[in-house]
Amino acid sequence: MSLFIRNYKPNSLATVYNTKLWRLNSTTTDSALKKDEEEEEFRVLDILKKRERFQRRVVRRTDIQPDRADRMATDQNWGNVWPGPKTFHPSSVPLPLRQGYVPKGQAPPGKKANAELMKIPNFLHLTPPVVKSQCEAIKQFCTEWPSLLNSEEAIEKHYPVEVITSDYCHASPTIRNPLARIVTLRIKLSTLNLDKHSKDKFIRLVGDRYDSTTDLVTITADRCPARAQNLDYVNYLLTACYHEAWNVEEWEKDKTEDDMEYYDWNNNTSKKALVNWHLQTKNENRTLNDDEYKAFDTSEIPYAEEYKNAVSSWFNDGESDATVKNYGEVVRKLFGLPEKK
Amino acid sequence: MYSSVIVPRQWTRFTCLCRSLTSVEGQKLPQNSKSSDGISPPPRKPRGPTDLLQALAATVGTDPTAAHYKYHDDPYLIPLSNFRKRSYALSAEAGRKAAAWIRDEHSNLFTTREWDPPTKNKTPYFNADPRIEAFAPKPIYNDASKVTEQDLKYTIQNALIDDSITIFQLLGGTSGVSEELKLQLLQLLCFYNEKEPESMEWLEERWFAANTRDRQAATWRLGGLADQIFESMDPKTPEAYCAMIQGMAKYYQAERAHMLTMEVKEKGIPLSTGVYNSLIGCVGFLREGTTLRVEALRSLLAEMHEQGISPNDETLSACLRSLSAWGGGKILQQMALSIVAEFRRLDIQPGLAAYYYLLCLFCKERGPRFDILSTIINELEQKEHLEAKEPADTNFFITAMGVCSDHLQNITMAERLHALLMKGDNYKLVGDAYKESIYYRHYVTVACRHASFEKTLELLDTLVPNVYVPEPSVMEEIIKTLEVGGAGDRLAQAWSQLVVFGHSKRARLVERLLDAMVNTYPGQEEEVKSKMRAAAADMLSFGQMTPEEKEMKDIRSPVQKLSATAVCNIIEMCSDTQDKADPLWKSVEVALQRLRKEEAAGVPARPQALADVAKKAAAVGLPGIAATAVTYLAECGFEEAMAASVHVLGTMLNRPEQEVEELLSQGQSALVSSLHPAAMAVAEAYSLAKTGGPIIQESERTSSSSDSDSDSSSDDE
Repeated sequence: MSLFIRNYKPNSLATVYNTKLWRLNSTTTDSALKKDEEEEEFRVLDILKKRERFQRRVVRRTDIQPDRADRMATDQNWGNVWPGPKTFHPSSVPLPLRQGYVPKGQAPPGKKANAELMKIPNFLHLTPPVVKSQCEAIKQFCTEWPSLLNSEEAIEKHYPVEVITSDYCHASPTIRNPLARIVTLRIKLSTLNLDKHSKDKFIRLVGDRYDSTTDLVTITADRCPARAQNLDYVNYLLTACYHEAWNVEEWEKDKTEDDMEYYDWNNNTSKKALVNWHLQTKNENRTLNDDEYKAFDTSEIPYAEEYKNAVSSWFNDGESDATVKNYGEVVRKLFGLPEKK
Repeated sequence: MYSSVIVPRQWTRFTCLCRSLTSVEGQKLPQNSKSSDGISPPPRKPRGPTDLLQALAATVGTDPTAAHYKYHDDPYLIPLSNFRKRSYALSAEAGRKAAAWIRDEHSNLFTTREWDPPTKNKTPYFNADPRIEAFAPKPIYNDASKVTEQDLKYTIQNALIDDSITIFQLLGGTSGVSEELKLQLLQLLCFYNEKEPESMEWLEERWFAANTRDRQAATWRLGGLADQIFESMDPKTPEAYCAMIQGMAKYYQAERAHMLTMEVKEKGIPLSTGVYNSLIGCVGFLREGTTLRVEALRSLLAEMHEQGISPNDETLSACLRSLSAWGGGKILQQMALSIVAEFRRLDIQPGLAAYYYLLCLFCKERGPRFDILSTIINELEQKEHLEAKEPADTNFFITAMGVCSDHLQNITMAERLHALLMKGDNYKLVGDAYKESIYYRHYVTVACRHASFEKTLELLDTLVPNVYVPEPSVMEEIIKTLEVGGAGDRLAQAWSQLVVFGHSKRARLVERLLDAMVNTYPGQEEEVKSKMRAAAADMLSFGQMTPEEKEMKDIRSPVQKLSATAVCNIIEMCSDTQDKADPLWKSVEVALQRLRKEEAAGVPARPQALADVAKKAAAVGLPGIAATAVTYLAECGFEEAMAASVHVLGTMLNRPEQEVEELLSQGQSALVSSLHPAAMAVAEAYSLAKTGGPIIQESERTSSSSDSDSDSSSDDE
């Protein structure tokens, strides 16, 4: 304003302004001069090169539009905005997100320029409404579920064989993945039509592929380069094991008590002792051969079944407090002794 | 024992075979999707390899806030002006082209295994599995390459014109190639007129290419390779004749095409429908005058009938194309209608191109109104989806919207047409960027003029700026609409839009916007008013940056100055505040300075507004601004200056106006000693307005009136 007035009033007032201006100028120049002199006299050795950083002029473009999140309608369809998987971008997500290390007494960093938000995979493209609409869209390609397969048991009964393979999808020039060739076949042993001998043989054949706790046989093949080949091979293995289990070889008859994989009470001296004791209590004095002992029907002896189970479990499950205690109780019952108090 | 095993195995194989047979059969037959026994899975529903993806893609709609997906979704990278849209897309494509060039130039890097030991021969290897033919390096042919007929076949099938010509020459020209390949090459050359077509690979280049209209000139290469091959062929097959005639006709070598046709007819060689279609397309070049041309067209059609050649939909569009190219008039229009009716009897429905030619024929800029568009839209709306059949199909929507806007001026028709374009997959028919832009120009214009205000706003919100950036003329139309609708905040927003669209240097548009803002300003709410004030102040500062830049950058083209009226409008809006400390007064001051330094063109149209501003400034307690305003008025010689200066002085000195007038009639010297400099300036302005000259004597004024007075006065001291 002073400038303007000077244009019109060259008299006393203008001179006041001018002198003021002049003084102002002189002071500034003086100080500048002094500064120069000081720098001239005391030059500081800048060892660490801690120069004053120049304030770099930030060139800001004037035509940057505001975030498009600001313009979004509240009733928009989010699926249109974020149709596919994508790295987080703050200007497109109308959510006040915060993420990252929280300095003391401060809020977590906001969504702009936040690497923490960009690093983590987001599921903004799979919101529940989108999932719903996508399911509706692909329903036309689905067939109806078979009506009789209405429970887990039914499925297990009609489709006992389970084939497990993995498909891999990744961004690379090749769609092949070597891991996709591996085929795993699972089947419950109880669903196979096996008798006692063949079951025993089958278990011996598959070895550690059988899990006795879940009763599952798991056969995995990865030796062939293609999945179809591995699938064929797995099926072949199962078929071969099954039919082999049914075969009885000549040498299998040579199996002795030492070869038994478990304790069979019928074949052991415990039965002999029980039978002898039973015969003596009945005052029958018979001598039996081995086969007769094995075939002897113990059901007429009271508590013989329990005794058999107790002894078998002692041998098969190992000696423990429970088995020993159980054995004691059964023996008391067998001999008609009073129960332990 | 083994035999008992084998039988079931064979049996399973047999059942397996049966199952696969049923599944294969099941894919072909229409079937119910239920399982037969409730246990076995039902037969698979047939679907194509991309059907699932397309079904998923159909769930995604358009997002009006987002730019096209070819651009990065980032505020810094979303293009907002037409120039940026074009350059961003083309830059991305330039990168792709560079990559393709490297791939072709160094193809060995992509087809061999580099990690083989140096002594061994490199084994061919493609790291993509399965191999993608489109991404594989293209073979490069030059004079040194050894080529076979197999290569020629490959290049012909992939429409590589230049390469196929090279190979043809390498193989020994006309003598070294079999007749069959020669024919194939001839057809290729005739179709493209021996010119390499634009590659289909570069979508953006095609989209932004400015080939607005194909030139209707004889561009057929006389004596070119096609002619040579044709000459060398012996015996000349009908296919060769057809290819030649069609090529000549396509590139407007009508005379020769006609002559060749005569020759063929004499020899009694049969011609195809395509030949007749192309002949119909260029029949106008042989005759002068409408009646003769129509006669020629009729005779051609009659000839087709005699030869027993059945016409197709291209025949229809070729007829209409010729008719529409021959100008307007009753005869041609009648002829066109009768042709369409006759083809309909043959069960040939007009396509989009045919409709386009009809619109061209009927809806002339100057001429009577024909409402054939409504019937066309009625017919098109009934179709499930529109199919693109020939290049001219893409002209339909732009022309139809132009007809809606200029010829019919009917917004409902425009809306129906737009709905048709948006339906299903029809948007591909919009053509290229240029056509799209013109289409939306017509649409927005007709909406601004004839649609209701709310609908127009809704349309603008969805289109601008991501789909369409308005050109200056359309922007003016929009501003007019906003002014009529009284949308103050929209007008304030329009300024920022002008900036981002790159129109802010167009003074006429800015002036128009300022006019609109001033006109709508009084009725607005306080919040909107403050927005408008901020926009006005921004306009001023935006304009101010230019001189500095000019110094820095040496701009050649002159910057358009805002008119004084516009600056005055800014001052008027910015001064609408009661707060003395409001930063807007700063911009008022700046604007006044600009007026005084004559940086604005002309003089204000409404000086009263400036006088009001002066009074207001004085009342608020800013005498300097008031003085400047009054002085400017006085210097320009407006009558309002006198009354205003008296009023301002009265407010400044807090005295009634009569007293002030008395004071002013006193001598100069008394005033000088007693008055504040600002008040003195007002007094001077008063006398300037009254007498047409200053109070102070010339000798005293010399130094003060000149611009360099500050130096001189300080020197005086």
